[in-house]
Amino acid sequence: MKKILLIEDEELIIKLLSKKLDAAGYDVALAMNGQEGIEKMRENMPDLVLLDIVMPRMGGFEVMAEMKKDEKLAKIPVIIISNSGQPLELERAKELGAADWLVKTEFDPKEVADKIQKYIGE
Amino acid sequence: MNQPLIDKNNIPRPEKAVFPSGAKGSGNESEPVLPSRADEIRELNEVKSQLEEAKNILEIRVNAKTKALRDLASGLEEEVKARTQELRQKVEESENSRMALMNMLEDMEDLRRRAEEEKEKTLAIITALADGLMFFDHHDRLALINPRMESFFGITRIESKNMTGQSIAECFRAPKLKLLGKLMGDGLANISRKELFLDEKNVFEVSVLEVAGHAGKIGTILLVHDISREKMVEKMKTEFVSIAAHQLRTPISAIKWTLRMILDGDLGPINEEQEEFLDKTYKSNERMINLINDLLNVTRIEEGRHLYTLTIADMEEVVAGLMANYEDIARQKKLKLNFEKISPIIPPVKVDLEKIKLVISNLIENALKYTPAGGNIFVTLGEEEGMVFLEVKDTGIGIPEEQQNRVFTKYFRGANAIKAETEGTGLGLFIAKNIVETHGGSIGFVSKKDEGTAFSFTLPPAPDPLIEA
Repeated sequence: MKKILLIEDEELIIKLLSKKLDAAGYDVALAMNGQEGIEKMRENMPDLVLLDIVMPRMGGFEVMAEMKKDEKLAKIPVIIISNSGQPLELERAKELGAADWLVKTEFDPKEVADKIQKYIGE
Repeated sequence: MNQPLIDKNNIPRPEKAVFPSGAKGSGNESEPVLPSRADEIRELNEVKSQLEEAKNILEIRVNAKTKALRDLASGLEEEVKARTQELRQKVEESENSRMALMNMLEDMEDLRRRAEEEKEKTLAIITALADGLMFFDHHDRLALINPRMESFFGITRIESKNMTGQSIAECFRAPKLKLLGKLMGDGLANISRKELFLDEKNVFEVSVLEVAGHAGKIGTILLVHDISREKMVEKMKTEFVSIAAHQLRTPISAIKWTLRMILDGDLGPINEEQEEFLDKTYKSNERMINLINDLLNVTRIEEGRHLYTLTIADMEEVVAGLMANYEDIARQKKLKLNFEKISPIIPPVKVDLEKIKLVISNLIENALKYTPAGGNIFVTLGEEEGMVFLEVKDTGIGIPEEQQNRVFTKYFRGANAIKAETEGTGLGLFIAKNIVETHGGSIGFVSKKDEGTAFSFTLPPAPDPLIEA
């Protein structure tokens, strides 16, 4: 079973997405902020990280910068799920090695699951 | 001069000797002959007349000589006079020449002074210029560096003095100019508005221009424009929109996701009536999302003028990929979406892919929005006169003739378009025009009310690598 780490601070989104991903057959781990996310990554190497950008304490960009420093973590594909998505942000995410950027209002949980499948399979 | 001239050859000469032999008294004879008295008188008379004749002859000769001398003297005088005149003229001429020369010198001095003034003016402008400037002469050696350039890069006067006369490569080896050198690459190729990040607070825009005069290359100017403030504003704007987007979209995306999952049956079964209500709520929420997007998209206007990453792209692939996204919508709206490539080879283009996709999407979305059911949309890709062109033609409501001149202006929406579709910002075509023109292409349309509209744009092909090399 492929392991997915969802780093997201909004409770409703966590609940909806983990339900959808469970149903799609993924093993979903949760982290409510960036710092917790990095710790969980080190404990239990996920196959893919779903990452929010605006979070308390440590945001998504900082998480990616931290991952880039660690040889092992740098290899994990990262899909950003955010409510924003401006060119400068996309550019920065690309530089930091993000695989994809999904704007939450333009995608729904099913489409997020489809994207994940595209990157790591079922 | 009133006497007639006497010919020297015609001067009369005495026929007889003035002193006949024997009457000479030369002392050769010891004894004089004593003639008779009458003889004596006759002889004396004869002698006297001879003498008188001789005297006359001499007088004539003297006169002639005198006259000749006088003539000569007067001739000389004439000559002297003429010479003097000539000399006077010469002196006058040389005086004139001297004056002319003086005038010329004065003019030259004037010109020199003016040139000097011009030079000073130019230098003052260069010195006071808000942009940093380096000027390399036609041997690619540094001829000038202005104070702004020094302050931008923290170069001291002494350092810049030392740099003057150095080659481009030597200049860019200086530690303070290393980053600039790295941006420039091997030499001073013509570049325009390349960004140079010196540090967090200092961002510059670098341009290189070759300057040519009548006799060919004069030199090369490197201009450095401070865009730190613009960059800061851009960053602040991005941050602001990011926060606004977050605040506005967070609750709405949560609603969207919840409704979607309920409607998909992920959270348990719902009855038909519930589904109907939830579906309507979902659609209202989508409208809200569109409104927020439009609000945030105002900032996209500026984006049209800014190309981020240029990549080589195959337009056929790009168009085909985008059209696949619209198949469902076209089917729902009972529209036929057709694609045709009318040139065998479409040259690749060098574009900001996201931006060009936005242009194509805008045109296709407009066609889908404003074409009544049963209509057709033809997307045609081709090459014409060295440019790649794409046309999106529909059998839709058209643009009223009296409004056609405003199609590309900001916030414009056709009167019949507003009736057909309430949503829309009137920004799509404005942004599309900006994007196409920034890429060096052009955009236009033909439209007839109630018959349809055809929008088409062109893009220059990517430079051929073989020719470039």
